[in-house]
Amino acid sequence: MNNTISKYYPLIPVLAAYLIIFLIGFFMPGMWQMVALLAFYCALGQSWNIFMGMTGYVDFGYVTFIALGTYGMSLGITYCSQYEWLGIGIILIGMVLALFLASLSALLEAFIALRLRGAYFAIACIGINEGLRYFIEGAKIWGGSEGLIYFGALVQALGRDTVNQLTSFWADFSVFIIAALAAFLNIYYMRSKIGYALTAVREDEDAAKVMGINTNKYKTIAFLTSGWLGAGVGTLAWGLKLGHVYPGDVFVIHYTVECIVVVLLGGAGTLMGPVIGGLIYGLSKYWLAVIMPGFQLLVFAPIIIIIIVIAPEGVVGLLKRKLKGAKLKMFIE
Amino acid sequence: MALLKIENVTKRFGGLVAVDKVNLEIKAGEVIGIVGPNGSGKTTLFNVISGVYTPDEGKIIFEGKDITKLPAHKRAPLGLGRTFQIPRPFSSASVRENVAIGAMFGTLSGKVSVDDTLKIADRYIELVGIKTHKDKESGTLTPIEKKLMEIARALAMKPKLLLMDEAMAGMNPKDIDNMVQFIKRIKEEEEIAIVAMVEHIMRAVIGLAERVIVMNFGAKLVDARTEEALTDPRVVEVYLGHPPDGSKWQSEVWGKD
Repeated sequence: MNNTISKYYPLIPVLAAYLIIFLIGFFMPGMWQMVALLAFYCALGQSWNIFMGMTGYVDFGYVTFIALGTYGMSLGITYCSQYEWLGIGIILIGMVLALFLASLSALLEAFIALRLRGAYFAIACIGINEGLRYFIEGAKIWGGSEGLIYFGALVQALGRDTVNQLTSFWADFSVFIIAALAAFLNIYYMRSKIGYALTAVREDEDAAKVMGINTNKYKTIAFLTSGWLGAGVGTLAWGLKLGHVYPGDVFVIHYTVECIVVVLLGGAGTLMGPVIGGLIYGLSKYWLAVIMPGFQLLVFAPIIIIIIVIAPEGVVGLLKRKLKGAKLKMFIE
Repeated sequence: MALLKIENVTKRFGGLVAVDKVNLEIKAGEVIGIVGPNGSGKTTLFNVISGVYTPDEGKIIFEGKDITKLPAHKRAPLGLGRTFQIPRPFSSASVRENVAIGAMFGTLSGKVSVDDTLKIADRYIELVGIKTHKDKESGTLTPIEKKLMEIARALAMKPKLLLMDEAMAGMNPKDIDNMVQFIKRIKEEEEIAIVAMVEHIMRAVIGLAERVIVMNFGAKLVDARTEEALTDPRVVEVYLGHPPDGSKWQSEVWGKD
């Protein structure tokens, strides 16, 4: 029993970090916006890491899930806000829709793209993402390229005060919840058979098959989990908070690249990596945007290159190597 | 009843017939050596048996069950373990975790917990004698240690038939002798059949195999008791490339006139 609990010790610093960030945002005036940004990157990194870090497959189309999550919430609010008796239930409907869309796309993608490897998989995922975007625009479904604007509908259904509270606090707070959930699932998978199977897949997929591992099953589990969490982030941080959605705004590969940067900075396949990566990336992006607006990418690129050169396994990989003492190591994963 | 029965198995890659109508029967508890020159289809035959490739023709029957169409990951738990020509450890995982993965997924009893499989792993790591390395990252082992780890990983799957692909390539004679003794020992202790592929190491073939199968150009050339197979004129021709002076060959290999 004791053993079972100690397996989850690495969760402590991660959750502590989330708590500290949250408290800073909650009690220090003017910090909430930055804290929300940090939570967004940590949650996204953590979610993306479940699939990429464990399987080694780089899903460049990951933003598809975030976008579909956003659309799930948008559709829920747009089409259900007319039923007054639903009340706050439309948010729940939006979440369920988001998860449904994400599952559908994850299973389809898993069926088609997960048969491919390496660069082919990455390209297939980009293709699916772009295809979906142009499909929405071209077929004029879900508002087409004009998108959906539903902030007004939301205000009408729930009242201005509730909506203000939802968009300015609860949406961001829920992103923290998703980040924590992602961290828990991450370590739960790592410590279970799923984690062992995925390690084998990452290192040598053909050998894994011969060892009796149903590689497609475990890859799909990780892909689906990662997709759900990504959709959750999209649902709350974009769908609920912004009150509008345009296909050109959400199906943007740029966000996948940000996920990659966050995870690689912190350490792929580690539990703490996405948190550290998310903090480094979020803070420097925020800070650079303040002191040198417009130049943040120019400054950020060399920083990333330097970090990758010094610590190719990410900050957590470096920490694990440098730290001595088994007691301390128990908390780092 | 034969443990493994291969009937008329053919595997083609485009125009190349890699395995050509091979028939083979393996009984429980047997040790068989497969020899043959490079490109004679030995590894392809292994891959067809373990499920990496599906044969174009023919049937593979394991314990009376037709497994021809079964994917690799469903064959392994039935009792088919294998090691690879070039070791393929899951490099970032420790030796212990590698072996545990074998125990976790390679058996039919799917209900064992992760902790239990780690305990099972310890047993096999001790058996192959790499206990001191058990917490090392498997990618940092020496090639011979990697081979031993692969054997432990395959044994942890509780196989009824173990396919060993070039387990002794690149070893010096002393290591080969040790390995032969070791394989004989695990065969007795674990009660499994072993098919070992040994390309050119006659020392190992003679020491290990009760029966030898010689492959050439994808087809089974000879299937006989070790002594007979290795002195068969056709086999000598395959290896030496000219009709043999039988007596000379015999005296060199067996040390008798």
